[in-house]
Amino acid sequence: MTRRLHPDPAVAAAFLLSLICSPAFGLAAASPAPPEPPADVRAARAALAAGEHARALKAYERAVRAAPGELRWSAEYRQAAIAAEAYDRSIALFEELVDDHPGSAAVRLNLGYAFVDKIPSAGAVTQVILADRALGHFSKAIELEPSWLALYTRGNSYVFWPAIFGRTRKGIADLERAVELEPKESPAPFHAHAWIALGDAHWRLGDLDAARAIWRRGLDRFPDNPALEERLGREGEALDRLLDEHYAIGKRVDTSLEELWER
Amino acid sequence: MTRRSPTLLGLAFLLLPTPSGASPMPEGAGPEAPIAPAAPIRFQEIGERAGVRHVHSTRRFTGRHKAQVLEMFTAGGAAVAVGDFDGDGWDDLFLTDSDLGKPSHLLRNVTGDEGTRDGIAFVDVTAAAGVGGGNDESSIVADALWFDHDNDGDPDLLVARFGTPLLYRNLGPGPDGAPRFEEVAAASGLTAFANTIAAIAFDYDADGWLDLLFGNYFQPKNLLRLDTTKVLPEDLDDAHNGGGLALWRNVPAEGGGRRFVETTAEAGLAGHTGWSLDLGHGDLDGDGDQDVYVAGDYGTDLLFWNDGDGTFTDGTEAAIGFDTKKGMNVDLADYDRDGRLDVFVTNITDEYMRECNMLWHNEGDGTFLDLSRETGTCDSDWGWAGKFADLDNDGWEDLFTVNGLRSAGEENYIPLLVETIIRPDVDFSDLDSYPDIGGRTWSGYQRQRLFRNQGDGTFAEVGAAAGVDNDLDGRGIAVADFDRDGRLDLVQTNADQPSLLFRNVSPAGGRWVQLDLAGAGPPEGSNRDAIGARVTLSAGGETWLREVDGGNGYAGQSSLRLHFGLGDVARVDAVEIRWPSGRIERIAAPEGGSAVALDAITRIAEGHGVVAP
Repeated sequence: MTRRLHPDPAVAAAFLLSLICSPAFGLAAASPAPPEPPADVRAARAALAAGEHARALKAYERAVRAAPGELRWSAEYRQAAIAAEAYDRSIALFEELVDDHPGSAAVRLNLGYAFVDKIPSAGAVTQVILADRALGHFSKAIELEPSWLALYTRGNSYVFWPAIFGRTRKGIADLERAVELEPKESPAPFHAHAWIALGDAHWRLGDLDAARAIWRRGLDRFPDNPALEERLGREGEALDRLLDEHYAIGKRVDTSLEELWER
Repeated sequence: MTRRSPTLLGLAFLLLPTPSGASPMPEGAGPEAPIAPAAPIRFQEIGERAGVRHVHSTRRFTGRHKAQVLEMFTAGGAAVAVGDFDGDGWDDLFLTDSDLGKPSHLLRNVTGDEGTRDGIAFVDVTAAAGVGGGNDESSIVADALWFDHDNDGDPDLLVARFGTPLLYRNLGPGPDGAPRFEEVAAASGLTAFANTIAAIAFDYDADGWLDLLFGNYFQPKNLLRLDTTKVLPEDLDDAHNGGGLALWRNVPAEGGGRRFVETTAEAGLAGHTGWSLDLGHGDLDGDGDQDVYVAGDYGTDLLFWNDGDGTFTDGTEAAIGFDTKKGMNVDLADYDRDGRLDVFVTNITDEYMRECNMLWHNEGDGTFLDLSRETGTCDSDWGWAGKFADLDNDGWEDLFTVNGLRSAGEENYIPLLVETIIRPDVDFSDLDSYPDIGGRTWSGYQRQRLFRNQGDGTFAEVGAAAGVDNDLDGRGIAVADFDRDGRLDLVQTNADQPSLLFRNVSPAGGRWVQLDLAGAGPPEGSNRDAIGARVTLSAGGETWLREVDGGNGYAGQSSLRLHFGLGDVARVDAVEIRWPSGRIERIAAPEGGSAVALDAITRIAEGHGVVAP
């Protein structure tokens, strides 16, 4: 019943952040490149290193409030909240920021991620509720700014829903739009994630031929992408096992977005 | 684990042909000489022929409240209880019904009677015994349990209800040989209304008298006369508005006889207010008294350590941690033969909710480790009962589970349900919050699973090959050797569907021993049923552990007779019995002989050793 944005940390951790930096994503509130950390972020990091989670959270919250559209500090804050199991506190902060900045797609996305972050701590039914809440905020982000990032995020989220819920085709629609927004020339490596998820959505619906066709097209554009190669290299139960594990309920999705900053 | 998606296998009731490859035993034939421990497990479904084809009906609700929603939340009640009510050495059956006016059934095992040697056979003696009632305008039969409440040597029958329980005292046969029972619940003090879904009997205070523990699902409101629609769990992962537990201590009645007094609070069990769905007891820490495991629907399971002084301590957090799953079943067994009882709990594992079952491996330090994934027992779909039993006598206890909630039309209820779940501010406790299910299926047409213990800490699912993978909406399981041939048979009950009797026709397995234990009775001895007795059997340098339980497993009570599959042992070196009274009795093998007879049923009486080979 749950779905996580990035079940496979090796593949998924980074996708979001990288997108924001690219003009293709178009999130106006996002900085094209992360700025130097402000004093509050430096203080939060120092507190974290000292194991002082409460102090770290407070410092991060000051930083996030000061720059609500800056995804990097928000992502760091959410990771600190996960470590402290302060999921509701994280959600409350971004709900407050959504009220204060109703036009910010980045804040909406962060609120959605905060719900995603809480999913592993919840029971099976609550996981559905949290996942649905996250989807709602991702949808708001798309309304505000139909960026590659927002479309990919919501589309990928839909893929986590078992087919019985009838949301997979919505995911395909989002992911096809995301692929369309991908730069024709020199796409960034993270753009491959939309191809991966789009193929996975077709697998979810049981259309393996369509899934393979998408993964192959993705691999043409992103040669040597390990996730695409792995999918195309497996068949039958081996492929099901891989993707079942990828979309497994109960695994924490890495929403740290570190891949983006590393880029 | 490979994903198992629900598969609509068709609405037709699977009427169980002999599984391909099975070679039914000649009627009356006993077990053959022990052969390869890896011999296949095979069952033949003979319910119709054996007189066990009872079609259960769940209660149909009427009135202004959402009847179908209540029916969904009360879709149990198809229970089975094994007990030798007439003391002839052949295990009999009691099968429940739940709909208004529908009778439950007492089935006498006549397999051993002269002229009835046609496999396993039962005759319905409900009318003569007068124990079929219980489904009236204010009550719904939900579970049943045989136990000798008055220590007179024959089992009495408890019928647990959404209502007040019924207790039928066994009076023995009348002049015409017909069974006679007397309903004594009220006279015995069992007058409290509860929505009881599970009942077990054990001697929690070790006074030699069997006590009762009830697992109650809903709060004690009569679902047939509701004055509110807010009766459902307030949270589907962490509900605390359920019926909790009720412990009834067996005490002397004025003027003789026995009665029950509620001791839930003083025993330390009143703090649990969740949706109890099943109960299990056993000595989990090896200290000589009976601990309790509670499977909680819509919230955490609980483990209560018996303090040995008539009280329990909640040890959940340290022992198993808190969970949010939908606990449905409790069974205890030493599946890996490390000398400690482990616990198996079914949960819901389906396309839309993958909780995974829990196989709690007893670590021996007061903690348990869930090894369901590692052992291959994680996935049994929407689980109900699960029972351990050595079905091939290879010395390792296998695990049979029954599954499935509601098999109906092709349309699925889940998409409709999820729209309710995600609705902002939905009140989960309100019947009116849920859409009617209509003719939809919900986790239906699921195959039953038989997990064969491979003796290396893992199980292999062999349900199809064994002939038990029907797709009925299973609820309860009872395990017993109904034809006394040394191979354990199975009864499966199903909601709104016929019960099944699986005769074990496995071509050949290992050696076996069955033990009937009889407690000496109070004041110094144990309860006559020997419930709670722990037996350690040694043979060929290996040991096996069993305990007599009083109703472990959802909607099912299995035989009190202990069954040991022993593989290819040549003799039994020793049998040690730790009686509930604390007495330790050891039966050693004579020079060149066996402590108890192989491939036979042996009766052991407390303080007297073997009294009948």
